[in-house]
Parts: sequence; C-alpha cells; structure tokens
Amino acid sequence: MEPVLLVFIYSSITALATGAGAVPFLFVRTLSPKVVAWANAIAAGLMLGASFGLILEGTVHGSLQTLVGAGVGVVFISISHNFLHDQDVSFGEIRGADARKIFLIIAVMTVHSFTEGVAVGVAFGGGQKLAALITIAIAVHNIPEGLAISAVMRPKGASVGACALWSIFSSVPQPLMAVPAFLFVEAFRPFLPYGLGFAAGAMVYMVFLELLPESYENASKPAVGLLVSLTLGAMILFQRYL
Amino acid sequence: MTAEPILTVLLFSTAAAATAPFGVIPFAILGTVPVPWLGGAFALASGFMLGVGYILMAQGLLGQEALAPILGAVLGVAYTWWTHRFSGNDDFDIYGGPPDEIREYKALVLSGLHSASEGVAIGVAMTINLHLGVFTALALAIHNGAEGMALTWTLSRRNVRLAHSAALCFFTNVPQIMLAVTTFSVVSAAPAVLPWTIGFASGALVYLVLTELLPSSYQNGRHTHVSLLVSFSAGGVVLLEGLLK
Repeated sequence: MEPVLLVFIYSSITALATGAGAVPFLFVRTLSPKVVAWANAIAAGLMLGASFGLILEGTVHGSLQTLVGAGVGVVFISISHNFLHDQDVSFGEIRGADARKIFLIIAVMTVHSFTEGVAVGVAFGGGQKLAALITIAIAVHNIPEGLAISAVMRPKGASVGACALWSIFSSVPQPLMAVPAFLFVEAFRPFLPYGLGFAAGAMVYMVFLELLPESYENASKPAVGLLVSLTLGAMILFQRYL
Repeated sequence: MTAEPILTVLLFSTAAAATAPFGVIPFAILGTVPVPWLGGAFALASGFMLGVGYILMAQGLLGQEALAPILGAVLGVAYTWWTHRFSGNDDFDIYGGPPDEIREYKALVLSGLHSASEGVAIGVAMTINLHLGVFTALALAIHNGAEGMALTWTLSRRNVRLAHSAALCFFTNVPQIMLAVTTFSVVSAAPAVLPWTIGFASGALVYLVLTELLPSSYQNGRHTHVSLLVSFSAGGVVLLEGLLK
C-alpha cells in the first residue's frame, strides 16, 4: 500500500477511537448535580494528566519552546473565553454558559488534535513499526479525551450520539495534519514543542477556569480532590505504559 | 556549600519556613488586606505548589519504573485525605464564614499538617541533587509567604497581635523543617524508597492544592484571575527549574 494512504488510514483510526469515550454514557442515566460535579472533576483529572504528558514530551524537543507554546495556549483560551462571553452560543438544546463551556472544551480538544496529527505523521518518518506503535498509543489516548468531552456534554442533556460525534469531530484534524506532516517531516518537526505546549497550556487553563470551580460548587472538597488526583495519576501511568 | 549535606537541608528548610512570617507585612503597612488579595495569595500558593509537584513527578518518572512513584502518589493522597479526616477538616471552610472559637485553631492545625508534606518534598528533592532541593525550598518559601498572609488574615479577625501571628506562621511551618531533615536522612540511607517518597510528596502536594488552596482561591477571588495566576505561577516554576538546570 502507498505509505501516504497508510498514514491517512492509521490517523483516521485514531480519530474514530475518540468516539469510544461516549460509550460509558450509554449506561449512566441519572445525573444529579453531584454526578455532574464528579464528571467535571474526572474531566479535569484527565485533562491535567494529558497536559502533564504533553509538557514532558514537549520538553524533550525544547523546554523553552514548549512553555512559550503553553503561554500562547493560556492567552488563546482567555481571549476566546472573553469573546464567547458576548455571544449567544448554542449546542442543540443547550444554550448560554453551558454551551459556551462545551464549545470551548471542543475547541481546545480540536486544536490539540492538530499537534497529535503532526506527531503521528512525524512518527511515520521513523519507520512503520514505530508508527504503528504511536498510532495505537494516540488512539487509546484519544478515548479519555472523548470521555472528557462526553463528561461535560452528556450531563447538560446532549445525546450519546452527539457526544460521540463531537468527540470524533475533535480528532478530525489528526488525519488532516498527519499526511502533510509525513510528507514534510523536517519542516514540521520544529513546531512540535510549540504545538505540544499550546495544547497543554490551553487545557490547564480550561481546567482552572471552568471545570474545577464548577466541581467545587456541587461536590465536597475531598471528593473533588480524590477524583482529580486519582484520574490524574491513572492518566500518567496510562501514558507511560503505552 | 556546607560540608555536611544535612546542614544544607536544615538551612534551606528553615529558610523556607522563615518566610511564612513575611505574610504579616501587608497587614503591618495597610492595617488589613482586601479580600481579592486573599484569593490571589491562595492562587499563587497553589501555582507554586503545583509546579513543585510537577517537577517532582517528572523527576520520579525519569527511572524505568513508573509504578513506584505513582503508587507513592496514591499513598500521599491517601495520607493527606486521612489527616484531613482525622483532624475533622475534611470539608471545612477555614477561610470563609464568620469567625468562631474553633475555626482559627483548626486553621493552625491544618497549616501544621500541610507543612509536613512540604518538608517531605524538600527533603526528597535534596537527596536527588542540591539544585533541585534548593529550588524546591525557594518555591515553597514563596508559597509559605502567600500562605502566611492568608493565615494572618484569619487570625486578625480574632484580634491576634501581628507579632503573635508572625510567630504562629513560623511555628506552623516547623514540621516542614523536621520532616525535611528526617526524609533526607532516611532516603539517603535507603535509596530504594526514593521513587516512593518522591511520588508521595508529589501526590500529597497536588491533593493539598485541590482540597485546601484552590477552593479558598475561588471563594475569595475572580475565576479568571485565579486561573491566570495558577497557570502562570505553575508554568513559571517549571520554566525556571528547566532554565537553571
């Protein structure tokens, strides 16, 4: 098979895997404010864990670049947050502040997928075996991201199908970026640490601005602390052994 | 540096504890501080602590074995959860609500427990190398100053004199010195426990931020300011540590 086609197929698989994050919500029906707060805390832990991995990976390619990227990520979310504040955003039935938060989280995840796509494409430059490994790693790593998106959308009344579709949507940039990154590996490599840092900064800021304050409102502090720190630890372990 | 490494640990952990009384300075100058400052102080303290937690965990994962630091972190979280529960502080708002008899005492107990975990962090960082140890002590020193301000604010509502507040800020940080020295000695003598200890410190710090510091920052400050301060102070700590290396 043409290598370019293979890159496209592999990176599409990673994108589809994100949809699997919606699956647990087929089984969770009753959503009291407390459960929503727990879901937010879990999403916060997953996102903090993902950022931890991104920063570690980024610093391998260049510490300063990664942190510059992270600073830009924080500013980006800050500006989009202020911008969205004045708009009437809606997601199907969901409107107002909830829709804004969902929009922001999907935007963050989507932008961050560009970097993951580049990572897959660049990895293919290092041989097919490495590429297959990275593909599996990113595909599995995408599932908790879909879970984070669904954990925010489902409690606000979105259907499981919508959760799955928006999760997959957030990963569409992966095949779109993997192919050019594979074709122009050398040109893309220098941007990798900036991209990784950007994604991490945006996610961390999102966690502190939206997810954690909302969790504290409806859940006890030990519950939030335990859920966030344990999912954070699980994410670190998970990334480590993939 | 001093000939005896343990003296270095003693020196730096004492210096970190000794910055806590600086928290009374704004009160000495202004009489009192506006409530949003309190939110800002907690946010800064959170950011510095998260930065240290990140650096320690990244260091712990450098080895081949990732399970030990992560299990250590679970122990750190569990230990802190238990101390909160044991001392009756598990869902207690120290820095909110009206002043009352018990609140201020609880704030003192909690500060003492909290500083013990910081001591473990300084001690374990010192065993890895001097640079990391000194850096951890400095980051926690700034953290302690911000925390001292918050503690002074709580005590000031019971009309505790500033000199006494300053002394209390220092004494609640004494466990930090003791645990820094103890941790350093134990880990130096038994290097096998290093990945566990580093995980423990990191888990305990992250859990402290999540259950004590962040809720108080959100209560007293605007969400945008809190998240900006936390992100940039945590990022700044990580960046500085990387640059100084």
